Amino acid sequence: MSIKRITENNYSQVLHYTVEVLKKGGLVIFPSDTVYGLLVDATNEKAVKKLIEFKDRSPGKAISVFVSDFKMLKNLVVINNIQEKRLKEILPGSFTVVLKSRGKVSFLLESEKKTLGVRLIKYKFVNSLLKSFGKPTTATSANLTNRPSHYSIESLQKELPKKKLDMIDLIVDAGKLPRNKPSTVVDMTEADVKIIRKGDVDFSNSQVFNSGSPQETKKMARKIFSDFKKTKKPLAFIIEGELGVGKTVFVKGAAESLGINNIVSPTFVIYYEYGNFYHFDLYQIEDKNEFKYLEIDRLLKPGNILFFEWGEKAGEIYNLLKSKAIVIYVKMEYINEKKRKITIKL
Amino acid sequence: MKILSIDTSCDETAAAVVEGRRVLSNVIYSQILIHKKWGGVVPSLAKRAHEERIDLVIDEALKKNKIDYIAVTQGPGLAVALEVGIKKAKELAEKYDKKLISVNHLEGHIYSPFVQNSRGNPVREFHFPYLALVISGGHTEFVIFKNHLDYEIIGATLDDAAGEAIDKAAKLLNLGYPGGPVIEKLAGDVKNIDSYRFPRPMLKSNDLNFSFSGLKTSFYYFLKKNHNEPIKELASSFQEAVFDTIIKKTEKAIKKSGINRLIVGGGVIANLRLRQLFRNLTNQYQGEVLFPAYKYLSGDNAAMIGVVASYKAERKIFVENEEELDRIPRFSL
Repeated sequence: MSIKRITENNYSQVLHYTVEVLKKGGLVIFPSDTVYGLLVDATNEKAVKKLIEFKDRSPGKAISVFVSDFKMLKNLVVINNIQEKRLKEILPGSFTVVLKSRGKVSFLLESEKKTLGVRLIKYKFVNSLLKSFGKPTTATSANLTNRPSHYSIESLQKELPKKKLDMIDLIVDAGKLPRNKPSTVVDMTEADVKIIRKGDVDFSNSQVFNSGSPQETKKMARKIFSDFKKTKKPLAFIIEGELGVGKTVFVKGAAESLGINNIVSPTFVIYYEYGNFYHFDLYQIEDKNEFKYLEIDRLLKPGNILFFEWGEKAGEIYNLLKSKAIVIYVKMEYINEKKRKITIKL
Repeated sequence: MKILSIDTSCDETAAAVVEGRRVLSNVIYSQILIHKKWGGVVPSLAKRAHEERIDLVIDEALKKNKIDYIAVTQGPGLAVALEVGIKKAKELAEKYDKKLISVNHLEGHIYSPFVQNSRGNPVREFHFPYLALVISGGHTEFVIFKNHLDYEIIGATLDDAAGEAIDKAAKLLNLGYPGGPVIEKLAGDVKNIDSYRFPRPMLKSNDLNFSFSGLKTSFYYFLKKNHNEPIKELASSFQEAVFDTIIKKTEKAIKKSGINRLIVGGGVIANLRLRQLFRNLTNQYQGEVLFPAYKYLSGDNAAMIGVVASYKAERKIFVENEEELDRIPRFSL
């Protein structure tokens, strides 16, 4: 193992040497915008395995990578135009951005869901290193799992057992780093759930209402709901519409006709129950498997009423609902800031 | 008197052993570990995950502690998740012949600033009454904390919780989930500037209720109409609109109740900007504000549930019919 001091004056030489070590699959301790990091070639599986062994990290736990610029970032992860526009406003910066991996780095760095954390930071030594290396490196902190991070080489040497120190090929020492906070995670991955598409619902015989206020929406919900109250089968209202369009208002209206006046958004807990009235919000559902834990089939009993906000995410259980319940599809759209178009399809 | 407490109200499987206000052990098996590898609060529900982890979490919390009572969160929360904790608590109560104590999750947050570490820190006396606020991803509630276990709800959100509103704004900005930490950081980068003055919901109403859905709608519309506004200023202005509403309502509550001692618990209080705003407010009224002393106490945990339970045990408030103890997903104080 060798230790090289890096300064404004000698950095190009030190970086040149570091690139050589990385190319050979070496393990490098390197300064960053936050703490001292552990760098290996992210595309070299053997080097990544060495890093995981060093950290005592349980396999399957994701590790982020440094990239030098947007070009490298786009080569590693899938990113759409809106995401790119947003990211260009916040990067380079102290963020770890999580996106779907293109599989260009060792799979050991990805999460189980095949996502990858990328870091494009404001720190000259890392960026220059990455530019001359031309490939991503790992961006994990140079501490053992569940141990504090290091802001100086002295603390790192004091803490690490000899066996671990022997695994390191190069230490690049930039002195004491300022105590910046760890990066903030921005998870931009999309949910993996089946969406009910337009073709799945036949809107040919639907009713259309226009609402000019939350009060009117409530009134409409009460009226629509009262037509179905007497049925013997369980009722399932699937409500589709964008953020802020008034889905909760609609549910409140229907609930009030049953004397339930304390409806609040169930987003955080997925659903609240009020006797036989169940108010779901599928907004947070990220994975189709989560539906299993909800045990919705258990709730599909005569007399029970289920409302689903973000109901379009119910694709996974749509057939189940249709087979056991009367399904009423409610589509809510913005006309303008006050007015809404509400389409009801039985 | 030692109490084993269990909380499975949403996405955390948590157990703790407390003695009075002191936490002897505290274990939170964050389901983040199961669902996402990148950290943050992810309310992925997972009944099975609770079932798989609960024995492990309880064993880890118990270690060699001999306990006198068992406490469990009865609500509010996700029904299928609450069930797991309650079932386990009943099982243990019967097996070891211990009395059961039921706790409201919100009580836990209200007591959270008084929860101490194993050495008895922080040392904080109770000076009733307090004005208590619980602000999290799932709750926004105003409570007068009159005395031990004596509460009066004076306001609550009528739709979205404050933390939820911020999460949804982040989503509208394509910043993913959870939104709180990202929004706080972006806002900090522009010094919490309020460039757009989004509407402050419910400030004109005379009560102490909150509503954040209107703010969400106007933010949505603003983004539809304006495509090139800087993201940091958008994030900052939105955060200011939410926080300003909370602070102004709190000021109203101080004036109405004449109480200038505040307790603030719940996940959103991890935000340092909001803490500063609360400090400024209570300074203005020569009062004080107490936050949870340790980071884990602002999120969901069982330690705070155990501390509430120890006050209940002192007063011999136990579950009378253990078999009939059932979850109350919309449990009110």
